[in-house]
Amino acid sequence: MDPLSQGIEEESDEIDFDYYLSQISPQPTGNSTEAQPKPSTADTTSDALNACCVQPLSGLSLTQGDDDNVTETDVKDLFVVVDNPEKHTTAMESYITFRVTSKTTRSDYESSEFQVRRRYNDFIWLRQRLEETQPTLLVPPLPEKHSLKRFDRFNQEFVHMRMRALHIFMSRLAEHPVLSFNKNFQTFLTAKQSEFQAAKKEGTGFMSRMADSFHNMSASYMMKNRPPEFVATTEYINGFSDKLAVLDRISQRVIKEQYDYLSELNEWGPVFTLWSNNEGKLNDALVAMAKAVEKCFLSLQQLADATEHSLSNPLREYMLYAEAIKVVLRRRDAIQMEYEMTVEELNRKKDEKDQLNKQVETLNDRATCSNADLKADLDRWHKTKRRDFRKVFSEMADRNIQYYQQCLAAWEEAIPLIQKTDATHDDLPHDLHQ
Amino acid sequence: MEISVSEPERRSGGSSVKMQDTYTVYLVETKITDPEMPGHGEPPSSLWRRYSEFELLRCYLEVTYPHIVIPPLPEKRVSHAWQKLPTDRFDPDFIERRRGGLENFLLRVASQSVLSRDKMLHGFLKDEDGWKDSVYATDFQSKADSKLRALSAQYRLKNTDRRFDELKNYSSEVQTYINTILKIRARLADRLYGVHKLHQNYGRVFSEWSALEKDMADGLQSAGHYMDVYAASVDVLLEDEEQFADQLKEYYCFCDSLRTLCRKQELIQLDLEKAEDSLAYKTTQREQLVDGKSSAFSFSGMKSKLFGSDTPEQREQKIKQLDEQIEESELQVQQATEDAQHFVDLALKDVERFQRQKVKDLKDIFTNYAILQIDRCKKGINIWQNAKECFTKM
Repeated sequence: MDPLSQGIEEESDEIDFDYYLSQISPQPTGNSTEAQPKPSTADTTSDALNACCVQPLSGLSLTQGDDDNVTETDVKDLFVVVDNPEKHTTAMESYITFRVTSKTTRSDYESSEFQVRRRYNDFIWLRQRLEETQPTLLVPPLPEKHSLKRFDRFNQEFVHMRMRALHIFMSRLAEHPVLSFNKNFQTFLTAKQSEFQAAKKEGTGFMSRMADSFHNMSASYMMKNRPPEFVATTEYINGFSDKLAVLDRISQRVIKEQYDYLSELNEWGPVFTLWSNNEGKLNDALVAMAKAVEKCFLSLQQLADATEHSLSNPLREYMLYAEAIKVVLRRRDAIQMEYEMTVEELNRKKDEKDQLNKQVETLNDRATCSNADLKADLDRWHKTKRRDFRKVFSEMADRNIQYYQQCLAAWEEAIPLIQKTDATHDDLPHDLHQ
Repeated sequence: MEISVSEPERRSGGSSVKMQDTYTVYLVETKITDPEMPGHGEPPSSLWRRYSEFELLRCYLEVTYPHIVIPPLPEKRVSHAWQKLPTDRFDPDFIERRRGGLENFLLRVASQSVLSRDKMLHGFLKDEDGWKDSVYATDFQSKADSKLRALSAQYRLKNTDRRFDELKNYSSEVQTYINTILKIRARLADRLYGVHKLHQNYGRVFSEWSALEKDMADGLQSAGHYMDVYAASVDVLLEDEEQFADQLKEYYCFCDSLRTLCRKQELIQLDLEKAEDSLAYKTTQREQLVDGKSSAFSFSGMKSKLFGSDTPEQREQKIKQLDEQIEESELQVQQATEDAQHFVDLALKDVERFQRQKVKDLKDIFTNYAILQIDRCKKGINIWQNAKECFTKM
């Protein structure tokens, strides 16, 4: 990538978290040495991201009936910002930590502001704990462990991409009506390093092992009577993640094609400039052509770079989300299956009837409960998804419109310059021989 | 300066393809509107010509009017094509573009004051069958200079004309620039085509996805439709852009015409220098003869000692003979100088005319390109605004 686009990208990264920090916390950005003044050009690239993470995403209650104006229905009382990556090197290993700043008005927090540093593995721990304690809720996905591209773990672009994804993860948790009240979440946000390490060690991991064995079981057995609603949901999720994967591939190809187009444009403009050196009366026209081409080049570069950030990343996140939902659905299946198997057992073993009866009852309750939980959370997820995609695609359209408007302006500007008959040149007898 | 005396109206239209050794002919229709033009008042003529006959006409004009920048013909084979552009000789698009190019060629020839009065041009426009024979009858081919001669002229010239040297360099450079522009344009067209056509996939996925969704279905479905529209819009766009490429190609070929003109100048300069050389040689010879009387140590003096000296009568005779030859050579030199000067005057005048035309044309070409791009942007804005409406309704 050429140095110009590199510059734009880095800039926008910095501005992103400066920007949302300023929205959230009155503190200066601390030791963020790379913090830069905010140029207006980077706004467009960072807007989409800000929109995803800074603006209050809906804090939907599980029983929320109507959508659309969900954003206003709930007052946000917990804000989380993930920023300021830092590299640590010890004798054993090197790793990156991120600053996690939270601000809250909730009474069960000791203070209204917290700042901790967490590394990627800590986020994994948090997500695992949330899944264990809330197996039938949709826990938002984490970014992939490995970079999809050729970057190594410490590549700046990769670190920033991960940082943004972690930020979105935390924001989604903070908005979640149930998960945000989870004790582990609070620990993650507030515990000092030593306490946090201790908390990490005491985790049982029992549920995760259970869940795993259930997964295998559910994979090998067919459900007797899975509620049609969840059959549909499973089908939907499979289709949904397929479509997103295709969309992602298409957008990658579009971006690639746009970058190729860009590199051609980049060569094209200078030819007109070179030619203009050989001409007298045509000089202005050729320079105008070169300028218009260059402006189009810059606009398209903006478009392509922004697409990379604000279309591909949300698409990937939702692909991971879909995977997370699949896991939850399997877990629900597992619960139902346990119930069903027990019912079967009940039929076989009449003598253990009493005891099993009790168990059946509990499990029946649990299945019903998990169905309700999951259903409510799915509804909520659908609403969030719909709003997110509305935003993602509208912004994609906006970016394209903006690109075309900028090109339009460039060419409209060029025409009078091309047509201009310059008096100073007319003085020359003729362009060639002077 | 006489401004173009005639502006015949031409309409070249429908083409027909004969079956045996297929070729394309074009209908050439002419009406002379200028009252001072021979043939004014005659009914409009219309006849059929094929590309090779245009080539013959141009070849004839080039030989007959060496001092004029002869307009080029449209390219023989498609160059700088992007992947989806048809390159077949009989493709309707290609023929249409060639038709436009041929028409343009005739219009340019007719707008040049000298060329427009050429008898063979008028024959080309009026006399369908007899014209070819009369062109060959002018014996223009014997005057055509061989490539070899032109090449030697380039190396043997003592004095090159700075103005023509510059013109030669200028045309080579501009040709390089136009060539690069066209090459990149073709690649740009490929990429643009790719970008647009990829959006068709968005269209497909959106409509497939819409089948899965409840609330988002309508928005996705109609947004998908606009993605298809966006993909399709590129076809017309690139078709229009081809005109820009063709116009630049014409100026690429014009640079060849400029170089031909320079070569002609070199040939004429070579003729002049040859005449000067022979005059100089003869003058030296005469001087030696005259000097031979007084200087005994000259080469001719040695020769005369060895082989016996010429009698004074013989020497007188030789000097007299040389004097006559010198006189003749002087006339030749004078003639050649006049020729060269005449050529330079005419050629520079036509080059100037060409330059004015060029500035105007290129400005128009670029303006049209800008307008095309504006149109593209407006279409793009329109489509994406429609798509956005669908997305926001989602």
